Order: sequence, then C-alpha cells, then structure tokens
Amino acid sequence: MRSLQSPDPVQVYSALRTIKNAIIGSTTKKSLYFKLQIIPTIAALLAMEDTDVQIRIQATTVISSLAHKGEEATKQLLDSGVVDALINQIAPGADHVLMEASERALNALLPHESIKLGIEKHVGLMVPYLLSIISEAKDASRVYEMRTHARVELAMLVLSKLCVTEARQYTIANTGVIDVLMSILLRGYPRLQIAALKALSALSYENMEICGALFLVNVKGRAYTDIVLDLARSLEPDISLQACLCISYLSRMRTGDLLKEIQAVVVPALVKLLKVPGFDTLLVVNSLGYLCHEDADIQSAAKNAGVIAELIKMLSVIESQENADFVDQEHNVRVVKGVFLALGTIVSTNEECRRKAVEDKALEYLVRAMGHPDNGVKAAACLCTRYIIRSVSICRTNVPESGILAPLMALLQDSDADVQVTASATLVNLLTDFSPLRADALKKGLVDILARLLESQNNMVCRNALWSVRNLLVSIDDDTRREIIEKIRIEKLFAISSLPHQTFLQEHALGALRNVVADSLIGIQAVFDAMGSARVIELLRQVVRADADMVIKVHGLYLANNIAVRSQEHCESIVCDEELLQAIVSHITSASSEVAIAALWCIDSIASHRMPAQSQRESDIESVDGSDSCRYMDKLGGLGIQATLERMLDEPNLSLEVRDRVRSCLDYFLAPET
Amino acid sequence: MTMSTSSSSKQNISLEEWESKMAEVPIAKSDLNQLIMNYLIIEGYKDAAEKFSEESGQHSSVDLGSIEERMQIRFAVQNGDIKTAIERVNDLNPDILDTDPRLYFHLQQQHLIELIRQGNAEEALEFAQEELAPHGEEHPELLRELEKTMALLAFDAAGTRSPLAELLDFAHRQKTANELNAALLAAHSQPREPKLPALLQLLAWTQEQLDEKANYPRITNIVSAVLEDQRPPPKDAAGAAATGGGTQRA
Repeated sequence: MRSLQSPDPVQVYSALRTIKNAIIGSTTKKSLYFKLQIIPTIAALLAMEDTDVQIRIQATTVISSLAHKGEEATKQLLDSGVVDALINQIAPGADHVLMEASERALNALLPHESIKLGIEKHVGLMVPYLLSIISEAKDASRVYEMRTHARVELAMLVLSKLCVTEARQYTIANTGVIDVLMSILLRGYPRLQIAALKALSALSYENMEICGALFLVNVKGRAYTDIVLDLARSLEPDISLQACLCISYLSRMRTGDLLKEIQAVVVPALVKLLKVPGFDTLLVVNSLGYLCHEDADIQSAAKNAGVIAELIKMLSVIESQENADFVDQEHNVRVVKGVFLALGTIVSTNEECRRKAVEDKALEYLVRAMGHPDNGVKAAACLCTRYIIRSVSICRTNVPESGILAPLMALLQDSDADVQVTASATLVNLLTDFSPLRADALKKGLVDILARLLESQNNMVCRNALWSVRNLLVSIDDDTRREIIEKIRIEKLFAISSLPHQTFLQEHALGALRNVVADSLIGIQAVFDAMGSARVIELLRQVVRADADMVIKVHGLYLANNIAVRSQEHCESIVCDEELLQAIVSHITSASSEVAIAALWCIDSIASHRMPAQSQRESDIESVDGSDSCRYMDKLGGLGIQATLERMLDEPNLSLEVRDRVRSCLDYFLAPET
Repeated sequence: MTMSTSSSSKQNISLEEWESKMAEVPIAKSDLNQLIMNYLIIEGYKDAAEKFSEESGQHSSVDLGSIEERMQIRFAVQNGDIKTAIERVNDLNPDILDTDPRLYFHLQQQHLIELIRQGNAEEALEFAQEELAPHGEEHPELLRELEKTMALLAFDAAGTRSPLAELLDFAHRQKTANELNAALLAAHSQPREPKLPALLQLLAWTQEQLDEKANYPRITNIVSAVLEDQRPPPKDAAGAAATGGGTQRA
C-alpha cells in the first residue's frame, strides 16, 4: 500500500501487480485491501492524466477484481469516481489491453444494485463507445483473435447489463445494435454467441415493442426466431440456455407459431439442461417458470416433457443433502426456492399439471418446506401450495391428509411480511365451502387469527384475511356466522368497505359483507343493528353509484340484493331511498353484463315481496307470499322498468344470461295481466 | 454350443469387401486436416500446428499466438510452478479465477501439494490457514478436498507410505493443468477437448456394436490403425481345433 504512493512508477506498477495477484479469487484478501482504503488510492491514480498505461491496466484490473467483492465495494467505487476513468479508457483510440481491462471492470461492477441506476449519467457516453467496440467484430477477419474477441464479448455483456430500464432498452436498440448482434450470432464463436444472446435477451426483456421488432429481423432469409431456435438446440449448454431465454421473452407476444415452437423445442431443451451434470440449474428453473407463466399449453408441454418430475427430483436430491457437510447449502436454498416458484407457475392454471405434481408427492415437500428456516423458501412453498390447491378435487382428496393446515396456520403469524402474505393468500383457497379442512381450521382458532390479520399494517395481508372471511361465510351454520360477526366485527368490514382508493381491499370487505347477509337473517339483523339503517343505505349508495369501480358495483348490488330478498323490513329501507333505487335501476342497462345481472337480481328480489293479505296487513306480519300483487309495483313502475326491460328484450345483441334475467324480472310486471 | 450358433449367424465381411465399401464413403482431405489441426491447437502444439498449416495449406481459425500463452501456463502447472501459472492466467484474463472458485481452489490446492512435496511443512500449514481455509469456508463443497490435502501433512514428504499418494503423483499436476487448460480454452471460445479422441471413442463403441452382428476387418490397435480380418478360419480347420478328434484320427 505504501508503494502505491511512491514517486517511482516501477514500484507503483510492481505493487499493483502484487495486489492484483493477491486479491483475484480471494475474498479475504479483497476485504483486507478494502479495509486498507485501496479504492481512494486507485481512484487517485486513475484520475491523474499522466498515469502510465501499464499502471492503468494493473489498477483497472484491481478495480475489476474488487467489484466481485460485492455491493459495499461497488458503492465505494462508484462514489470514488472511478467510473469516469473507466469510461474514458474504453473510448475509441484507447490502448487495447487497457480497453479490455476497463470493460472487464464495468462488466463486474454493473450487476450491483448501486451502480445499475447510479451509472445513468454515463449511459449516453458509454453506449456509442461500446457500439464502436462491438462493430470491430464486423470488420475482424474470420480468424479467431483472442484480444479482439474478448473486447467484443465484454462490450456486449456490458451493454446487456445496462438494459435495466425501458428507456435504456430503447436507447440501445435505436443505435442499430441488433443488426450487429445478429451478424455476431452467426459467426459461430461460442463466447460471442452467448454474449450476443445475453444482449438480445436483455434488450427484449418485458419490452413488447422491441420483441415485435425482433420478430421482423431477417438475416440472409432467416428469421430471428429461426436463428435463435437453432441455437436453443445447441449441444453447448450455455448457448442453449441463453437462446431459450431469448425465446422465452418473445413468448410474451403470444404468437401462435412461436408458442408451438416453444413447446416443441424450447421446453425439451430446458429439460435437457436440467439434467446436464455440473450445470447451474437455477437459471434453467427460473427460465421454465418464466416460460410457463399464464400459458396453459406451455404448462402442459412442460408436464409432458417431464419438468414436474424433474423439479421434484431436484427437491429430493437437495433434501438428502440437508444435513451433509461439504455442500453449498446457500445455493441449495436458492434452488429450492426457484423450484417451488417454477412449480407453482406450472400448476397455476392447468389441472393435469396439479394432479401430476400431487402424484409426484409435491405436497409432502411443500409441507416440510413450510418449516424451513429460510423465509424465501417458506414463501415460495406457500405460493406453490396456493396454486396446487386451486384444484377442487385435490383440495377435497389429497390436501386433508397432507398435514398442511398446522404449518400453514403457523405461518399466518410469521414475522416475515412476505411469508405472511403468501401464507394468507394460500389460506383463502383452503376455506372454500368444499374444503374439508375448513372445519379443522375453525377448531384451531382461525377466526381469532383472521381478526388479528385484519389489523395488519400490510394491505396484502389484510386483503387476504378479508378474502378468507368472505370464503368462510359461504354455506356455514348459524353459530359460526355469529362467531365471525362477533370477532371480525361488522364495523370493521364497513370501515374498509368505505375506504377511498383502496379497491382491492374494498372489494373483499364488500364481498365479506355480502356473504354476511346471505342465506340468513342473522347477518342482516347484525348489520343493521351494528350500523343502523341510515349508514347501511349510505354505504350502498356510495358503492353502486355510476362512477364506482365495476367490481365494487357488482358486490354492492349483490349486497343490496341479499338484504332485499330475505327481509321485507330491510328491503323497505332500500326501496324508500330514491337515490339508491334509481342507481340500482340505472345499472340494468349497463354495458357490463355482470353489473346488469346483479342489478336485475336486485329488481327481482325487490319485486318478489308481495302485498300482505288483509288479515296479515292488520296484524302487520311480514309475508312474502301474502298475495299475488307486488308490494313495490308502484315504485318500480314509476321508474319505467317494465318499458326498459321490454326494450332490452328487443336488443339482438343482448347476452343470453342477461336476457334470461330480464325475462325473469319482467314476469313480475306481467303477472297481474296474465 | 450357443456361442457357435451365435457366431454362425453373424455376417462375414472380407477385407476386400470392407475396403471397397470404405472407399465409397466420401471423406474430404480437408476435413481430416481440420481434425488434425483441431487436435494440435487444443492440445497446444503450436509449432506442429504452424508446420502442419504450412504443409497442408490448412488455415487455422485460431490466432496461433494465443496457443503460446496457454501452453506456458500449462507447462508452469506441470512443473509445479503454480504461482507463475496463476500470475500468467491473471494477465491473460483476470476473470477466470475470480469467477471460478473451484478452479482457483484447485490451483491453490496444487500449490499446497507442491509445498508439502518440497517438505516445507511450516509454509504449507501457513498457506493452508491463510489462503485455503477461508476459501473453503466460503465454498463448503470444497472442504472435503481441502481436508484430504491437509491430511498429506501427516505423512512423510516422499508420500510413498501415504494413502493419499495420488495427490503427490504427477498425474495430479496433469489433472490440474488440464482443468486450467479447459477453462482457458472455454474463455477463448474453443472446445474444451479436441475432436479426435471423441472420434476414436466413437470408433471403439461402433466396433463393439458391430461385433455382435458381423465378423469384419476391425481396427484393434488404434496406433497402427491396421484393419485385421476377424472372420473365423475355414470350417474344417475350425472343427479340428474345436474337437481335437481329427488329429487323433490322423
């Protein structure tokens, strides 16, 4: 370190070389020099204009190695201003060895969070420099030239790592780099092909416009997709993987022909990569997960190619290494997490895939993973479980014996927010009316836990708890309904239902309220007792008004319907509120059939109340079937509903479901005449 | 009896037939030259590659200058001079050892072995504590190999009585050199292994498959590559050899 301050350039050079050879490969030595404040010293050397090029090469290589140390060193390197020097050193005309060393340093720095965006102000200068280096490949002779190829490869890798924002993707794509990358892809040098594929996938990641542009790329009569699909078949695992990633990103375009190619080429290629000894399978697993996202056909192809079995085999191998020495357990944890996430994606929509996962004992691994010390694994296991138990038959048959309830309920109270979110989301699917575990969960104090979760500061946890309450209220006995009403509290559900700009919470609070008042007078009475008629009507007015969100409107209309259908007394409150009644009626002609059907049910329920028979009128006893005439015919008739319903029936494009409902409503208005 | 039946059901192909069939397969001389050039480059025979290029007119797709550096590194490992090898690798491509902890560990392990071989037990111990142990902590999957190497210290330097003598064998240096060479080749977009040995393996496998179906002129000695006729001897001679009865009758 003292020699670095020497006025003798030979001593400085020699010291830098010694440090370089000490820190390369050694984290301990990197930490040691980091503590000795090597970064400011090196930054000062690079900032001086007259520093010898050989010293610069050694100093830059030291930076490159220090960048591998991690985020802390990277942050200090960024703050020290070395990035300016590195960029100057890749400018056209710079010494080629220095240029290569600087590219290496930038390539090592860029994966770190602090520099990803911290380098923004330099992007404008860097991109043309990098493009100029990449273009060297076009002019190079067909002979492999080590140094030129290394520079071109590194420039492509740096470029790919710059693509972390959409704006940068466009900036880089607009330089015409895609054509150059394509020509490199066809040159056949594996390292260059891998780097070019990385650049192309970074440019197209989640960017539909660039994906669209890539679809149109054609080199010597061959389309981009054909060229990359050929590379996906490569025997070289890295090339195959990077090509698969490129195609995966294009899959978001949902183009029929490409999706077929993905099923025929990419999925089998990825399965093959899972089996390559010594190959890091984590990227392959992640890639499979990405590819299968929301595409039932690809999920099915993955199942048929043996992906589910292969993923579960990986879990089995890792489990067998759990207590073994000499195993990189951290890496195993990352793989397990990746496997659960990929498996979750594959089973998210396809029933056959879920069935296969269960046949291969996925539930056993998931239950055990819920007790894993790593929060990421626990959260991923919950997510995967959530998708598997979307299946009614699995929920009925395999889940009750899986032993999943106890660990899942424990995770509802986990200290990690992500775990709580995914565990509570999974719970939602266990509380459907057909789930045998619902009764066990209630016995284990589920309602108390849900009441606590509703107080969570985390909105996602709160949403999931509301959703669970909503599901729990379907087809339950009166005692449980009373317990829920008492512990969850109507006031709480009302308060959330009235929250402005929180549609995702409002939706489930209203859904829960809708179910509280469904099927039983107990719930209706509890709501009116707790809130009073005026506040109930005020809430209904608020949620069914024209500018409310569609989902909220639907829940509001069904809430009104459930109140109206069961209790004439409370139906009266709805009918007597002109504003509310008019809002409901206005929705029967809604462009959304869902809203229209909900409004028509409301009208149907209101119209279903009959005038009491004379004797009953005198004794003021409520009756639905007291006489043939509709109690609210005058009110409803005054709003011109009959004419509206008749006009709707004349509309040729009216959906069958709405038409059915319209006819049913119209029966009430036509009944006296018939 | 079964052997005889099986043998008799095999197709017999004469040397003439075989050679005539072989002559029908078009094999371009340039392909063979390319195969040889590939072997010379990957194995690092720079001078031979240059001479071969001159004589055969076969142009290399690789800058032959890059072979030189790779070979110097390989020789350094083969000579047990690991420090020089590491320095040269770092000059050539500093990312190789910074991104491949297993390879870095194997080079450090080889250096430790060299210290033990030289009888520098104290230096070896210090090196293991300072360099290898922290690396092993970071990469627990390498700890087993480290433990095994450290066990060498318990035996005499000559290693003849050591159950771990294999570590002191030249073959271990060669193994480390090969691993490093493969990494350097991969870093230079070159295949990790030449194509020729793989082709010879394919030849052996194909002959094994064919052996079950036919008696044909096969290559038994890969070095001489002579086609040897494998057909059974004429029937009478075979009968005499099998029973010995004929001889008695004579």
